Amino acid sequence: MSSLIWYIYDFARKAWADGFTNAHSRSELAEKPDRFRDFPTVNKQYCIGCGACTVSCPSPNAIKIVREKDDETGEGMTFPVINPGACIRCGFCAEVCPTDPKTLECGENHLIHPEFNIIPSKRQYIIDDYLCIKCKKCMKKCPVDAISIVNDKLQVDQLKCIACGECVDVCPVNGAMKAVFVENLQDQKDLILLTVNYLEDYINSKEEDLRALQKDRLLQYDLPLDGIWDEALKIIPDDEISFEIISNAVNRLKIRIIDWDSSKCEKCQLCVPECPTKCISFDEENDTIVRDKDRCLRCSICYQTCPFSVIKYFIAKFSLENDRTIHITVKASNLNGELLME
Amino acid sequence: MLNSIKDIVRKSSIHVCIVNCGGCNGCDVECVALLSPRYDLEQYGIYVHNNPREADVLLLTGAVTEQWRENLKRVYDKAPEPKIVVAVGNCPQSGDVFNQEGGHVYAPASNFIPVDAAISGCPPRPSEILEAILAVGPQAIADRGREKK
Repeated sequence: MSSLIWYIYDFARKAWADGFTNAHSRSELAEKPDRFRDFPTVNKQYCIGCGACTVSCPSPNAIKIVREKDDETGEGMTFPVINPGACIRCGFCAEVCPTDPKTLECGENHLIHPEFNIIPSKRQYIIDDYLCIKCKKCMKKCPVDAISIVNDKLQVDQLKCIACGECVDVCPVNGAMKAVFVENLQDQKDLILLTVNYLEDYINSKEEDLRALQKDRLLQYDLPLDGIWDEALKIIPDDEISFEIISNAVNRLKIRIIDWDSSKCEKCQLCVPECPTKCISFDEENDTIVRDKDRCLRCSICYQTCPFSVIKYFIAKFSLENDRTIHITVKASNLNGELLME
Repeated sequence: MLNSIKDIVRKSSIHVCIVNCGGCNGCDVECVALLSPRYDLEQYGIYVHNNPREADVLLLTGAVTEQWRENLKRVYDKAPEPKIVVAVGNCPQSGDVFNQEGGHVYAPASNFIPVDAAISGCPPRPSEILEAILAVGPQAIADRGREKK
């Protein structure tokens, strides 16, 4: 009797009822994972009959190359036939198949993609030989012994690396061990260019502040990152990667700003021949000096040449932390001060 | 009437015996996965024994080796009628990678005992094995039971 009560009590539980109703159905179980490598599929029309697939196949009876009967339209096609009773789904046949497009296709195969990394990491860990001090801390820390010395240089074996990131944490030199994103280099360059242009345009728009800036004083601004964030996500649609690239670039960035106050200009044209890129020119029709911003190197030679202080020269530094605001510090260059001292 | 009652009983409780006649154990591991909570073979009324005397279905794995040529027939004879034999994996069908030139495997297994169904793959996924057993097993056993001796 007590056992009967126990059964009733057990089946009346909510957990039991939930488990009973949510039990897996047959179709869900039969689903194959996305990367599942199934039996190869044969595209007859591409086959050149080279026989590479039969040679590479580890199972003796799995692939046979057959030829169809000749008829009035021409020679019969030659193509491989897979026997599923012997095929072990290794994908070697698809890997060695030399035709393009492939006659044999077999799932996703790591040797077809040379960039394939068994660990789904977006980063690649590399050592900057210029900065590395060869303390070998990363070698000792590495859990899989992926770091070794080759020709007196430390190197990471990408095949062994498991992308745990411990080497970056342990490295005493900032930047000697790098975790770089390798897949989208051009996009990264575009992103950095976008950021730099945005910052420079912002500082140039503060013309009055710059002109009023005293020596030994600083200008400070806070610029929210959200101004370019949407555009940045269009270039690299991944929050983490975009933010890291921008913050890496911004924290090291030092921009030289040139402010051109044409109202003071006396058209002496002294700066024109001095410019190393010939970006300053004299427009005779309008009687003005024209500066081509895009070609300017910000080398400051014009600033040092100009006798009327038309040109002002500033240095801007930046920092970006997790609060998504770029802190800008602008100070006047002290080049002139040094010249006067002399 | 009696036959249809027998059909229901035979279809709803299938007893399975795994016979490894000299394989690499890959398919056996996949069969064991069928017993795990994810696939849960017993919810379909299929029970695994390691005793051919109470089996309705023999799950055959492995290419037939020298020693298993005789034993395979003995195991088959011990299973009570009606019975069906399912070859799991490539080995009982073709010998797979073991059937090399100069090798000593005696695949296919159908040379020794009648094989009713074959599941290819090296090894097949547990879900494939389950699908095959469910698709073939109940009806085949019911039909086999009605055959005139």
